[in-house]
Amino acid sequence: MADARPIVYVVDDDESVRDAISNLLESVGLRAKVFAATEAFWKAARPDAPSCLVLDVRLPGASGIEFQETLINSGMLIPVIFITAHGDVRMTSRAMKAGAIEFLMKPFQKEELLAAVHHGLERDRIRRVEEAEISALQSRVEQLTQREREVMDLVVTGLINKEIGAQLGLSEVTVKIHRSRVMQKMEAASLAELVRMADKLKPRFQTVQR
Amino acid sequence: MSPVVLGGCILNDAMLYEACSGCVRHAITEVWTVTFFTGPRVGLVPQRLGIALLAVGLAFACTLSLQPHFPYPFLFLFFGAVMVSAWFGGTTIGLATVLMSTLLVDYFFVPPYYSFSISATAEAYFAAFVVCALAASWVSSAKRKTEEALKEALDHLEVRVSERTAELLKTQTELARLSQALSMGELTASIAHEINQPLTAVVTHGHACIEWLSATPPNLEKTRQTVERIIQDGTRAGAVIKRVRALFKKEAPTKNWIDVNEVVHELTTFLHDEATRRHVAIRTELVPGLPKVKADRVQLQQVVLNLIVNGMDAVADIADDRKEIRISTRAEGAEVAVQVEDFGTGLDAETAERIFSPFYTTKAHGTGLGLSLSRSIIEAHDGRLWVSPRSSGGAVFQFTLPIRPRDTDG
Repeated sequence: MADARPIVYVVDDDESVRDAISNLLESVGLRAKVFAATEAFWKAARPDAPSCLVLDVRLPGASGIEFQETLINSGMLIPVIFITAHGDVRMTSRAMKAGAIEFLMKPFQKEELLAAVHHGLERDRIRRVEEAEISALQSRVEQLTQREREVMDLVVTGLINKEIGAQLGLSEVTVKIHRSRVMQKMEAASLAELVRMADKLKPRFQTVQR
Repeated sequence: MSPVVLGGCILNDAMLYEACSGCVRHAITEVWTVTFFTGPRVGLVPQRLGIALLAVGLAFACTLSLQPHFPYPFLFLFFGAVMVSAWFGGTTIGLATVLMSTLLVDYFFVPPYYSFSISATAEAYFAAFVVCALAASWVSSAKRKTEEALKEALDHLEVRVSERTAELLKTQTELARLSQALSMGELTASIAHEINQPLTAVVTHGHACIEWLSATPPNLEKTRQTVERIIQDGTRAGAVIKRVRALFKKEAPTKNWIDVNEVVHELTTFLHDEATRRHVAIRTELVPGLPKVKADRVQLQQVVLNLIVNGMDAVADIADDRKEIRISTRAEGAEVAVQVEDFGTGLDAETAERIFSPFYTTKAHGTGLGLSLSRSIIEAHDGRLWVSPRSSGGAVFQFTLPIRPRDTDG
């Protein structure tokens, strides 16, 4: 899954530019898929592989920058590399603030584009690994009972069993049993590992809550 | 400091010398103008003195011949002489005339005659004469001075007016150039994009080409395909430049037979990218086989460009799906008509009336010159340019050009 062959999407309304980019990507052994418009990219089936998007700023219909916002709002976290013939500072800073990998001026050099593409693919690969890890943790958390969840939440804040027992109205022995079940179900070898897992899950919870 | 040293300094310092001599020359001119020249540029001191002597002499001769007919000293002609002399000669000459007249009157016409002494009975009369002569001299020279000052002020004013007029003309030319540059700027951005696209493709294919060749074994088939694309894209960039050349062909401002459809087509091609960026759709309905008109190509392009850019500005603030401008051409009797229609916010009657006046603009950054220049260009071609509102919002700008211009000079 995470090691599937990476793919680079190219959206540019100019046929010769998108063909040239795809040719260059293929020449260095990268898989490229080109689209004339963002709608086509949006509708296309995207294989489950690390990917990034080379996006022209000036497009018919919504501009590339607007499309980047659409992607973010829809929760699609594909790294974006912008290419443009006339970018201004305002446009560049808006795109970079929204998390673009790079903002390249046409005509760009091979090294610039490939560095950006590799950077984008690497970022996406890491994101995918993390996502896989988190979803694994998520499924482990879902196996916990309500009580175990409560115990885990308090354990990771650094409280000792006695204090946890006092807070939840349980005996220290009961807490101890819950705690060992938590460690078992979460597949955590140590308290430190459990804390790390909780940390990784935390931003997820926050994102969901927001 | 000794005079020798001072003299040496002045002589050695060319600039100082030049400045000094300039000052002196200026001062002399000033003095001459103020003191010696007056009125209808009568001339130098001797001439003025001559006028004074002539006037006094004439007054004296007349008085001498007329005196026998009067029972009292007949002195009025001397006042005339004083006034004439003061008018042409200024205060000093006027006073000199008063002095001469007084002496002559005293000697010849005030009893006892042929003597400078004055009899007791004539004293009051003589005093009255002197006072009146002085007054006449003063009034005349003062009046003259006032007239001089007035004339000078008028001259000065005239110079200022012509200076300001020249300045305003310069500003106007500058603004006209600016207005043209603004719409040209948008065209240039569009053209730059047109050339940059194939150029980007060429550079990128070039890099790919090296990669295909560096592979082991070199992928010659891919290399060949890539080079073919490079040729295609290079040819495309060349075609763009060829079209730009045709567009900006520096023709002398002479009228040639021009196909209006061609002008519209060229401009819409070049503005395509700018329109895409602004999400504006440009539709054209060009009647084929339109008769050619005699016009200045560059000026006509300027007008059409201006109308299209205006149209794009007019639809800037409305919903994207209605951002459309329609350009149509047609032959109408002895005229060719071009119509640029936008579906924008439109304009009220007052704006429609004022929109062609110079410096009137409805845009935040407009110069207010585009339409005014366009109208003068069209009128110089014996055509008309006007605007009418569309019933469902938006505006229609139209211009006509005669197929046979009035002065059929070939």
